[in-house]
Amino acid sequence: MVPALEIENLGKTYGSAVAVNGISFVIKPGEFFGFLGPNGAGKTTTIHCITGIARITSGSIRVYGHDVVKDYREARRHVGLAPQEFNVDIFSSVRDILDYVGGFYGMRKAERKERIEHLLEQFDLTEHAKKEFRMLSGGLKRRVMLARAMVHNPPFLILDEPTAGVDVELRHMLWDYLRELNKEGKTILLTSHYLEEVELLCNRVAIIHKGSIAAIDDTSAFLKDGKRLEHMYLEITKKTITAGI
Amino acid sequence: MNIIGLWTFVRRELGRFSRVAVQTLITPWISALLYIFVFGRIVGSRIDNIGGVEYIDFVLPGILMMNIIMGAFMQTAFSLYFQRFARHIEEVLVAPLAYWEMIIGHIVGGVLRAIVVGMGIYVIAVLFSAASFAHVGLFIFYALSVAVLFSLIGLLIGLWAQSFEQLTILNTFIIMPLSFLGGMFNSVSMLPALLQKVVLFNPFFYFIDGIRYAMIGVHEASVSTGILVIMGSLLVLGGLLWHLFRVGYHIRV
Repeated sequence: MVPALEIENLGKTYGSAVAVNGISFVIKPGEFFGFLGPNGAGKTTTIHCITGIARITSGSIRVYGHDVVKDYREARRHVGLAPQEFNVDIFSSVRDILDYVGGFYGMRKAERKERIEHLLEQFDLTEHAKKEFRMLSGGLKRRVMLARAMVHNPPFLILDEPTAGVDVELRHMLWDYLRELNKEGKTILLTSHYLEEVELLCNRVAIIHKGSIAAIDDTSAFLKDGKRLEHMYLEITKKTITAGI
Repeated sequence: MNIIGLWTFVRRELGRFSRVAVQTLITPWISALLYIFVFGRIVGSRIDNIGGVEYIDFVLPGILMMNIIMGAFMQTAFSLYFQRFARHIEEVLVAPLAYWEMIIGHIVGGVLRAIVVGMGIYVIAVLFSAASFAHVGLFIFYALSVAVLFSLIGLLIGLWAQSFEQLTILNTFIIMPLSFLGGMFNSVSMLPALLQKVVLFNPFFYFIDGIRYAMIGVHEASVSTGILVIMGSLLVLGGLLWHLFRVGYHIRV
Protein backbone atom coordinates (compact mmCIF):
# COMPACT_ATOMS: atom_id res chain seq x y z
CA MET A 1 0.00 0.00 0.00
CA VAL A 2 1.35 3.46 -0.96
CA PRO A 3 1.98 5.52 2.19
CA ALA A 4 -0.04 8.70 2.63
CA LEU A 5 3.16 10.52 3.56
CA GLU A 6 6.81 9.51 3.22
CA ILE A 7 9.45 11.90 4.50
CA GLU A 8 13.05 10.90 3.84
CA ASN A 9 15.96 12.78 5.41
CA LEU A 10 14.16 16.10 5.24
CA GLY A 11 16.44 19.02 5.95
CA LYS A 12 15.45 22.66 6.03
CA THR A 13 17.70 25.59 6.84
CA TYR A 14 17.05 29.31 6.97
CA GLY A 15 20.45 30.81 6.24
CA SER A 16 22.72 29.21 8.84
CA ALA A 17 19.84 28.24 11.17
CA VAL A 18 18.80 24.59 10.98
CA ALA A 19 15.02 24.26 11.36
CA VAL A 20 14.65 20.60 10.39
CA ASN A 21 17.61 18.27 10.67
CA GLY A 22 17.26 15.20 8.42
CA ILE A 23 13.97 13.76 9.70
CA SER A 24 12.30 10.65 8.25
CA PHE A 25 8.92 9.09 8.96
CA VAL A 26 5.99 7.46 7.21
CA ILE A 27 2.25 7.87 7.72
CA LYS A 28 0.02 5.05 6.47
CA PRO A 29 -3.32 5.78 4.78
CA GLY A 30 -6.11 6.11 7.33
CA GLU A 31 -3.81 6.97 10.24
CA PHE A 32 -4.61 9.74 12.71
CA PHE A 33 -1.10 10.98 13.37
CA GLY A 34 -0.11 13.39 16.13
CA PHE A 35 2.90 15.59 15.38
CA LEU A 36 4.08 17.17 18.62
CA GLY A 37 6.88 19.39 19.74
CA PRO A 38 7.66 22.62 21.57
CA ASN A 39 7.34 25.96 19.79
CA GLY A 40 10.07 26.34 17.19
CA ALA A 41 10.80 22.59 17.10
CA GLY A 42 10.18 22.32 13.35
CA LYS A 43 6.53 21.19 13.13
CA THR A 44 5.23 24.03 11.01
CA THR A 45 8.40 24.10 8.89
CA THR A 46 7.90 20.40 8.12
CA ILE A 47 4.26 21.08 7.22
CA HIS A 48 5.33 23.98 5.01
CA CYS A 49 7.77 21.67 3.20
CA ILE A 50 5.02 19.07 2.64
CA THR A 51 2.57 21.61 1.25
CA GLY A 52 4.91 23.74 -0.90
CA ILE A 53 4.93 26.88 1.23
CA ALA A 54 8.62 26.32 2.00
CA ARG A 55 11.44 25.16 -0.26
CA ILE A 56 13.06 21.90 0.76
CA THR A 57 16.79 22.19 1.47
CA SER A 58 17.55 18.44 1.33
CA GLY A 59 15.78 15.09 1.34
CA SER A 60 12.45 14.26 -0.22
CA ILE A 61 8.72 14.11 0.56
CA ARG A 62 6.07 12.02 -1.19
CA VAL A 63 2.32 12.34 -0.68
CA TYR A 64 0.42 9.23 -1.81
CA GLY A 65 3.49 8.38 -3.89
CA HIS A 66 3.77 11.82 -5.54
CA ASP A 67 6.96 13.78 -4.99
CA VAL A 68 6.00 17.23 -3.65
CA VAL A 69 8.60 18.93 -5.85
CA LYS A 70 8.74 16.90 -9.08
CA ASP A 71 5.07 15.93 -9.18
CA TYR A 72 3.74 18.85 -7.16
CA ARG A 73 0.37 19.16 -8.90
CA GLU A 74 -0.70 15.62 -8.00
CA ALA A 75 0.87 15.81 -4.55
CA ARG A 76 -1.05 19.01 -3.76
CA ARG A 77 -4.38 17.63 -4.97
CA HIS A 78 -4.04 14.98 -2.23
CA VAL A 79 -3.46 17.40 0.65
CA GLY A 80 -5.69 19.87 2.48
CA LEU A 81 -4.04 22.27 4.91
CA ALA A 82 -5.64 24.13 7.80
CA PRO A 83 -2.80 26.37 8.96
CA GLN A 84 -2.10 27.79 12.36
CA GLU A 85 -2.46 31.38 11.16
CA PHE A 86 -5.36 32.92 9.25
CA ASN A 87 -3.66 33.22 5.87
CA VAL A 88 -6.66 34.54 4.03
CA ASP A 89 -7.94 37.61 2.17
CA ILE A 90 -9.76 39.15 5.11
CA PHE A 91 -11.96 41.28 2.82
CA SER A 92 -13.37 38.25 0.95
CA SER A 93 -16.63 36.62 1.98
CA VAL A 94 -16.61 33.11 3.40
CA ARG A 95 -18.32 31.74 0.29
CA ASP A 96 -15.82 33.45 -2.04
CA ILE A 97 -12.85 32.14 -0.05
CA LEU A 98 -14.12 28.58 -0.40
CA ASP A 99 -15.11 29.08 -4.04
CA TYR A 100 -11.71 30.46 -5.08
CA VAL A 101 -9.86 27.65 -3.35
CA GLY A 102 -12.12 25.06 -5.02
CA GLY A 103 -11.32 26.72 -8.35
CA PHE A 104 -7.57 26.66 -7.69
CA TYR A 105 -7.88 22.89 -7.25
CA GLY A 106 -9.59 22.63 -10.64
CA MET A 107 -13.13 21.90 -9.41
CA ARG A 108 -15.94 22.76 -11.81
CA LYS A 109 -18.60 25.33 -10.81
CA ALA A 110 -21.41 22.84 -10.11
CA GLU A 111 -19.07 20.58 -8.14
CA ARG A 112 -17.77 23.53 -6.12
CA LYS A 113 -21.27 24.80 -5.37
CA GLU A 114 -22.44 21.45 -4.05
CA ARG A 115 -19.31 20.88 -1.99
CA ILE A 116 -19.33 24.39 -0.53
CA GLU A 117 -22.99 24.19 0.49
CA HIS A 118 -22.24 20.89 2.21
CA LEU A 119 -19.24 22.32 4.09
CA LEU A 120 -21.08 25.51 5.08
CA GLU A 121 -23.79 23.37 6.59
CA GLN A 122 -21.34 20.94 8.17
CA PHE A 123 -19.44 23.74 9.92
CA ASP A 124 -22.56 25.76 10.76
CA LEU A 125 -21.37 28.59 8.55
CA THR A 126 -24.37 28.97 6.22
CA GLU A 127 -25.69 32.13 7.90
CA HIS A 128 -22.19 33.65 7.77
CA ALA A 129 -21.46 32.75 4.12
CA LYS A 130 -21.82 36.30 2.83
CA LYS A 131 -19.87 37.93 5.65
CA GLU A 132 -16.34 39.17 5.10
CA PHE A 133 -13.78 37.01 6.90
CA ARG A 134 -12.59 39.94 9.04
CA MET A 135 -16.11 40.31 10.50
CA LEU A 136 -16.14 36.78 11.96
CA SER A 137 -15.35 35.73 15.53
CA GLY A 138 -12.20 33.69 16.27
CA GLY A 139 -14.11 30.41 16.41
CA LEU A 140 -15.88 31.05 13.10
CA LYS A 141 -12.58 31.96 11.47
CA ARG A 142 -11.11 28.64 12.66
CA ARG A 143 -14.09 26.80 11.14
CA VAL A 144 -13.54 28.57 7.80
CA MET A 145 -9.90 27.44 7.84
CA LEU A 146 -11.00 23.84 8.31
CA ALA A 147 -13.72 24.07 5.66
CA ARG A 148 -11.19 25.59 3.25
CA ALA A 149 -8.82 22.65 3.79
CA MET A 150 -11.59 20.27 2.80
CA VAL A 151 -13.10 22.01 -0.23
CA HIS A 152 -11.35 19.69 -2.73
CA ASN A 153 -12.08 16.65 -0.56
CA PRO A 154 -8.45 15.54 -0.16
CA PRO A 155 -7.59 12.12 1.29
CA PHE A 156 -4.87 13.65 3.53
CA LEU A 157 -5.59 16.49 5.96
CA ILE A 158 -2.91 18.50 7.74
CA LEU A 159 -4.29 20.41 10.70
CA ASP A 160 -1.81 22.75 12.34
CA GLU A 161 -3.22 23.55 15.80
CA PRO A 162 -6.83 23.57 14.60
CA THR A 163 -8.31 23.99 18.07
CA ALA A 164 -6.06 26.84 19.23
CA GLY A 165 -8.19 29.57 20.74
CA VAL A 166 -11.59 27.92 20.21
CA ASP A 167 -14.20 27.41 22.94
CA VAL A 168 -14.93 24.08 24.58
CA GLU A 169 -18.13 23.43 22.58
CA LEU A 170 -16.44 23.97 19.25
CA ARG A 171 -13.44 21.91 20.31
CA HIS A 172 -15.68 18.95 21.10
CA MET A 173 -17.60 19.43 17.88
CA LEU A 174 -14.34 19.44 15.95
CA TRP A 175 -13.10 16.31 17.72
CA ASP A 176 -16.28 14.44 16.77
CA TYR A 177 -16.02 15.69 13.22
CA LEU A 178 -12.34 14.73 12.86
CA ARG A 179 -13.00 11.26 14.28
CA GLU A 180 -15.82 10.87 11.77
CA LEU A 181 -13.56 11.94 8.90
CA ASN A 182 -10.86 9.52 10.03
CA LYS A 183 -13.42 6.70 10.21
CA GLU A 184 -14.41 7.50 6.64
CA GLY A 185 -10.79 6.88 5.64
CA LYS A 186 -9.14 10.32 5.73
CA THR A 187 -5.53 10.38 6.83
CA ILE A 188 -4.96 13.16 9.35
CA LEU A 189 -1.78 14.79 10.60
CA LEU A 190 -2.54 16.89 13.66
CA THR A 191 -0.32 19.25 15.58
CA SER A 192 -1.52 20.53 18.91
CA HIS A 193 -0.31 21.77 22.26
CA TYR A 194 -3.38 20.18 23.92
CA LEU A 195 -1.89 16.76 24.60
CA GLU A 196 -5.15 15.28 25.90
CA GLU A 197 -6.58 16.06 22.46
CA VAL A 198 -3.76 14.13 20.77
CA GLU A 199 -4.13 11.29 23.27
CA LEU A 200 -7.84 11.10 22.53
CA LEU A 201 -7.69 11.30 18.74
CA CYS A 202 -4.38 10.01 17.41
CA ASN A 203 -3.32 6.40 17.00
CA ARG A 204 0.33 7.27 16.40
CA VAL A 205 2.48 10.10 17.65
CA ALA A 206 5.83 11.64 16.71
CA ILE A 207 7.64 14.15 18.88
CA ILE A 208 9.97 16.55 17.11
CA HIS A 209 12.47 18.56 19.08
CA LYS A 210 15.11 20.96 17.80
CA GLY A 211 14.50 19.77 14.24
CA SER A 212 14.95 16.04 14.96
CA ILE A 213 12.47 13.26 15.71
CA ALA A 214 12.91 12.53 19.42
CA ALA A 215 10.29 9.74 19.58
CA ILE A 216 7.77 8.05 17.32
CA ASP A 217 5.39 5.25 18.30
CA ASP A 218 1.79 4.13 18.72
CA THR A 219 -0.08 6.36 21.15
CA SER A 220 -0.62 3.34 23.43
CA ALA A 221 3.16 2.95 23.81
CA PHE A 222 3.36 6.46 25.26
CA LEU A 223 0.62 5.61 27.75
CA LYS A 224 2.27 2.56 29.37
CA ASP A 225 2.19 2.11 33.14
CA GLY A 226 -0.73 4.49 33.56
CA LYS A 227 1.29 7.45 32.33
CA ARG A 228 -0.22 10.32 30.38
CA LEU A 229 1.11 11.56 27.08
CA GLU A 230 2.01 14.83 28.77
CA HIS A 231 4.41 13.08 31.21
CA MET A 232 6.12 11.19 28.41
CA TYR A 233 6.26 14.30 26.26
CA LEU A 234 7.96 16.29 29.03
CA GLU A 235 10.34 13.43 29.79
CA ILE A 236 11.36 13.07 26.15
CA THR A 237 11.79 16.74 25.43
CA LYS A 238 13.63 17.26 28.73
CA LYS A 239 15.93 14.33 27.96
CA THR A 240 16.64 15.73 24.54
CA ILE A 241 17.38 19.11 26.04
CA THR A 242 19.78 17.53 28.59
CA ALA A 243 21.42 15.40 25.87
CA GLY A 244 21.80 18.52 23.79
CA ILE A 245 23.58 20.29 26.64
CA MET B 1 -2.44 22.90 -17.48
CA ASN B 2 -4.93 23.87 -14.75
CA ILE B 3 -7.43 25.91 -16.83
CA ILE B 4 -10.06 26.20 -14.08
CA GLY B 5 -7.35 27.21 -11.59
CA LEU B 6 -6.03 29.87 -13.94
CA TRP B 7 -9.53 31.21 -14.66
CA THR B 8 -10.23 31.29 -10.90
CA PHE B 9 -7.07 33.33 -10.45
CA VAL B 10 -8.31 35.84 -13.03
CA ARG B 11 -11.80 35.85 -11.46
CA ARG B 12 -10.30 36.62 -8.09
CA GLU B 13 -8.25 39.50 -9.53
CA LEU B 14 -11.38 40.90 -11.24
CA GLY B 15 -13.24 40.62 -7.95
CA ARG B 16 -10.42 42.42 -6.19
CA PHE B 17 -10.42 45.51 -8.39
CA SER B 18 -14.20 45.71 -8.81
CA ARG B 19 -14.55 45.48 -5.00
CA VAL B 20 -12.74 48.83 -4.74
CA ALA B 21 -14.04 50.33 -8.00
CA VAL B 22 -13.98 53.91 -6.71
CA GLN B 23 -10.25 53.65 -6.19
CA THR B 24 -9.40 51.48 -9.22
CA LEU B 25 -11.79 52.77 -11.91
CA ILE B 26 -13.72 55.91 -10.92
CA THR B 27 -10.60 57.78 -9.73
CA PRO B 28 -8.63 57.40 -13.02
CA TRP B 29 -11.76 58.24 -15.03
CA ILE B 30 -12.37 61.45 -13.07
CA SER B 31 -8.71 62.39 -13.23
CA ALA B 32 -8.64 61.75 -17.02
CA LEU B 33 -11.84 63.77 -17.44
CA LEU B 34 -10.21 66.71 -15.65
CA TYR B 35 -6.98 66.39 -17.67
CA ILE B 36 -8.90 66.25 -20.95
CA PHE B 37 -11.21 69.12 -19.99
CA VAL B 38 -8.63 71.46 -18.43
CA PHE B 39 -5.50 70.71 -20.49
CA GLY B 40 -7.20 69.51 -23.67
CA ARG B 41 -10.20 71.77 -23.99
CA ILE B 42 -9.54 74.93 -21.94
CA VAL B 43 -5.74 75.34 -22.16
CA GLY B 44 -5.60 73.52 -25.52
CA SER B 45 -7.93 76.01 -27.19
CA ARG B 46 -5.19 78.64 -26.73
CA ILE B 47 -2.37 76.40 -28.01
CA ASP B 48 -1.46 76.14 -31.69
CA ASN B 49 -1.94 72.86 -33.49
CA ILE B 50 0.86 70.35 -32.91
CA GLY B 51 1.90 68.17 -35.85
CA GLY B 52 -1.19 69.39 -37.69
CA VAL B 53 -3.68 68.25 -35.02
CA GLU B 54 -5.53 70.09 -32.25
CA TYR B 55 -3.90 69.99 -28.84
CA ILE B 56 -6.74 67.96 -27.30
CA ASP B 57 -6.16 65.23 -29.94
CA PHE B 58 -2.42 65.38 -29.30
CA VAL B 59 -2.68 65.11 -25.52
CA LEU B 60 -5.36 62.37 -25.30
CA PRO B 61 -3.11 59.42 -26.31
CA GLY B 62 -0.60 60.43 -23.59
CA ILE B 63 -3.32 60.54 -20.93
CA LEU B 64 -4.69 57.22 -22.13
CA MET B 65 -1.26 55.55 -22.09
CA MET B 66 -0.41 56.87 -18.62
CA ASN B 67 -3.65 55.39 -17.25
CA ILE B 68 -3.09 52.05 -18.98
CA ILE B 69 0.35 51.96 -17.39
CA MET B 70 -0.93 52.93 -13.94
CA GLY B 71 -3.91 50.54 -14.05
CA ALA B 72 -1.81 47.52 -14.98
CA PHE B 73 1.01 48.39 -12.57
CA MET B 74 -1.19 49.13 -9.55
CA GLN B 75 -3.27 45.99 -10.06
CA THR B 76 -0.40 43.50 -10.03
CA ALA B 77 1.87 45.33 -7.59
CA PHE B 78 -0.78 45.85 -4.91
CA SER B 79 -2.40 42.47 -5.42
CA LEU B 80 0.84 40.52 -5.05
CA TYR B 81 2.16 42.65 -2.21
CA PHE B 82 -1.12 42.34 -0.29
CA GLN B 83 -1.12 38.57 -0.80
CA ARG B 84 2.39 38.44 0.65
CA PHE B 85 1.55 40.86 3.45
CA ALA B 86 -1.62 38.97 4.55
CA ARG B 87 0.05 35.65 3.67
CA HIS B 88 -2.86 34.43 1.57
CA ILE B 89 -0.32 33.84 -1.20
CA GLU B 90 -0.09 30.51 0.67
CA GLU B 91 -3.59 29.66 -0.65
CA VAL B 92 -2.08 29.71 -4.12
CA LEU B 93 1.22 28.03 -3.19
CA VAL B 94 -0.49 24.96 -1.73
CA ALA B 95 -2.75 24.61 -4.80
CA PRO B 96 -1.84 22.66 -7.96
CA LEU B 97 -0.83 25.78 -9.90
CA ALA B 98 2.40 26.20 -11.88
CA TYR B 99 4.64 29.27 -11.49
CA TRP B 100 3.78 30.44 -14.98
CA GLU B 101 0.06 30.05 -14.25
CA MET B 102 0.47 32.34 -11.24
CA ILE B 103 2.30 34.91 -13.41
CA ILE B 104 -0.26 34.68 -16.25
CA GLY B 105 -3.17 34.95 -13.79
CA HIS B 106 -1.76 38.19 -12.38
CA ILE B 107 -0.95 39.60 -15.82
CA VAL B 108 -4.44 38.93 -17.16
CA GLY B 109 -5.83 40.72 -14.09
CA GLY B 110 -3.54 43.71 -14.73
CA VAL B 111 -4.37 43.84 -18.45
CA LEU B 112 -8.12 43.60 -17.81
CA ARG B 113 -8.00 46.48 -15.34
CA ALA B 114 -5.96 48.54 -17.83
CA ILE B 115 -8.51 47.76 -20.58
CA VAL B 116 -11.49 48.74 -18.42
CA VAL B 117 -9.77 51.98 -17.35
CA GLY B 118 -8.71 52.69 -20.96
CA MET B 119 -12.18 52.03 -22.37
CA GLY B 120 -13.71 54.45 -19.85
CA ILE B 121 -11.23 57.14 -20.85
CA TYR B 122 -11.94 56.49 -24.51
CA VAL B 123 -15.66 57.02 -23.88
CA ILE B 124 -14.83 60.32 -22.09
CA ALA B 125 -12.68 61.32 -25.09
CA VAL B 126 -15.59 60.57 -27.45
CA LEU B 127 -17.67 63.08 -25.46
CA PHE B 128 -15.01 65.70 -26.28
CA SER B 129 -14.81 64.51 -29.90
CA ALA B 130 -11.15 63.72 -29.36
CA ALA B 131 -11.16 59.95 -29.95
CA SER B 132 -9.88 58.53 -33.20
CA PHE B 133 -7.98 55.54 -34.60
CA ALA B 134 -5.47 56.01 -37.39
CA HIS B 135 -4.11 52.45 -37.11
CA VAL B 136 -6.39 50.13 -35.12
CA GLY B 137 -4.00 47.14 -35.19
CA LEU B 138 -1.12 49.22 -33.84
CA PHE B 139 -3.41 50.73 -31.20
CA ILE B 140 -4.33 47.27 -29.92
CA PHE B 141 -0.67 46.21 -29.99
CA TYR B 142 0.54 49.23 -27.99
CA ALA B 143 -2.32 49.16 -25.49
CA LEU B 144 -2.00 45.44 -24.79
CA SER B 145 1.80 45.09 -24.90
CA VAL B 146 2.36 48.08 -22.60
CA ALA B 147 -0.34 46.78 -20.24
CA VAL B 148 1.44 43.40 -20.12
CA LEU B 149 4.80 45.11 -19.62
CA PHE B 150 3.57 47.15 -16.66
CA SER B 151 1.76 44.17 -15.19
CA LEU B 152 5.17 42.46 -15.18
CA ILE B 153 6.84 45.52 -13.62
CA GLY B 154 4.05 45.61 -11.02
CA LEU B 155 4.69 41.96 -10.17
CA LEU B 156 8.38 42.66 -9.81
CA ILE B 157 7.72 45.52 -7.38
CA GLY B 158 5.01 43.48 -5.60
CA LEU B 159 7.60 40.75 -5.03
CA TRP B 160 10.40 43.06 -3.99
CA ALA B 161 8.58 45.55 -1.74
CA GLN B 162 8.77 45.10 2.03
CA SER B 163 6.44 47.97 2.87
CA PHE B 164 3.50 49.86 1.37
CA GLU B 165 5.80 52.86 0.96
CA GLN B 166 8.16 50.90 -1.27
CA LEU B 167 5.21 50.01 -3.51
CA THR B 168 4.73 53.65 -4.42
CA ILE B 169 8.42 54.36 -5.04
CA LEU B 170 8.38 53.30 -8.68
CA ASN B 171 5.35 55.46 -9.43
CA THR B 172 6.83 58.54 -7.77
CA PHE B 173 10.37 58.27 -9.05
CA ILE B 174 10.01 56.50 -12.39
CA ILE B 175 6.51 56.31 -13.90
CA MET B 176 5.33 59.89 -13.26
CA PRO B 177 8.57 61.71 -14.19
CA LEU B 178 9.28 59.58 -17.26
CA SER B 179 5.66 59.92 -18.49
CA PHE B 180 5.70 63.69 -18.12
CA LEU B 181 9.15 63.96 -19.71
CA GLY B 182 8.27 61.39 -22.38
CA GLY B 183 5.98 63.71 -24.33
CA MET B 184 2.69 63.12 -22.58
CA PHE B 185 1.59 66.76 -22.79
CA ASN B 186 4.04 68.16 -25.32
CA SER B 187 5.89 67.47 -28.54
CA VAL B 188 9.52 66.60 -27.82
CA SER B 189 10.49 69.30 -30.32
CA MET B 190 9.35 71.78 -27.62
CA LEU B 191 12.01 70.48 -25.23
CA PRO B 192 15.49 72.07 -24.85
CA ALA B 193 18.02 70.62 -27.32
CA LEU B 194 19.81 68.47 -24.72
CA LEU B 195 16.56 66.94 -23.42
CA GLN B 196 15.52 66.11 -26.98
CA LYS B 197 18.54 63.78 -27.12
CA VAL B 198 17.99 62.40 -23.62
CA VAL B 199 14.35 61.59 -24.37
CA LEU B 200 15.45 58.99 -26.92
CA PHE B 201 16.60 56.86 -23.94
CA ASN B 202 13.28 57.23 -22.16
CA PRO B 203 11.17 54.12 -22.92
CA PHE B 204 7.97 55.99 -21.98
CA PHE B 205 8.58 58.28 -24.97
CA TYR B 206 8.19 55.26 -27.28
CA PHE B 207 5.06 54.01 -25.48
CA ILE B 208 3.32 57.41 -25.69
CA ASP B 209 4.58 58.23 -29.16
CA GLY B 210 3.54 54.80 -30.44
CA ILE B 211 -0.04 55.00 -29.21
CA ARG B 212 -0.24 58.60 -30.44
CA TYR B 213 0.77 57.41 -33.90
CA ALA B 214 -1.82 54.63 -33.69
CA MET B 215 -4.53 57.14 -32.72
CA ILE B 216 -3.82 60.30 -34.71
CA GLY B 217 -1.18 59.21 -37.23
CA VAL B 218 1.48 61.60 -35.88
CA HIS B 219 4.78 60.34 -34.51
CA GLU B 220 8.19 61.68 -33.54
CA ALA B 221 10.06 58.46 -32.74
CA SER B 222 10.83 55.47 -34.89
CA VAL B 223 7.86 53.09 -34.65
CA SER B 224 10.08 50.03 -35.18
CA THR B 225 12.42 51.15 -32.37
CA GLY B 226 9.36 51.48 -30.11
CA ILE B 227 8.19 47.97 -30.95
CA LEU B 228 11.71 46.61 -30.33
CA VAL B 229 11.94 48.41 -26.95
CA ILE B 230 8.60 46.91 -25.86
CA MET B 231 9.29 43.38 -27.10
CA GLY B 232 12.82 43.38 -25.62
CA SER B 233 11.53 44.61 -22.25
CA LEU B 234 8.79 41.98 -22.26
CA LEU B 235 11.30 39.20 -22.88
CA VAL B 236 13.76 40.35 -20.22
CA LEU B 237 11.14 41.03 -17.55
CA GLY B 238 9.13 37.91 -18.35
CA GLY B 239 12.29 35.77 -17.99
CA LEU B 240 13.32 37.50 -14.78
CA LEU B 241 9.88 37.03 -13.20
CA TRP B 242 9.67 33.41 -14.25
CA HIS B 243 13.03 32.85 -12.53
CA LEU B 244 12.01 34.72 -9.36
CA PHE B 245 8.74 32.79 -9.04
CA ARG B 246 10.56 29.52 -9.72
CA VAL B 247 13.04 30.09 -6.89
CA GLY B 248 10.25 31.45 -4.69
CA TYR B 249 11.87 34.86 -4.16
CA HIS B 250 10.00 36.53 -1.26
CA ILE B 251 7.07 34.11 -1.62
CA ARG B 252 8.32 30.69 -0.54
CA VAL B 253 10.26 30.65 2.72
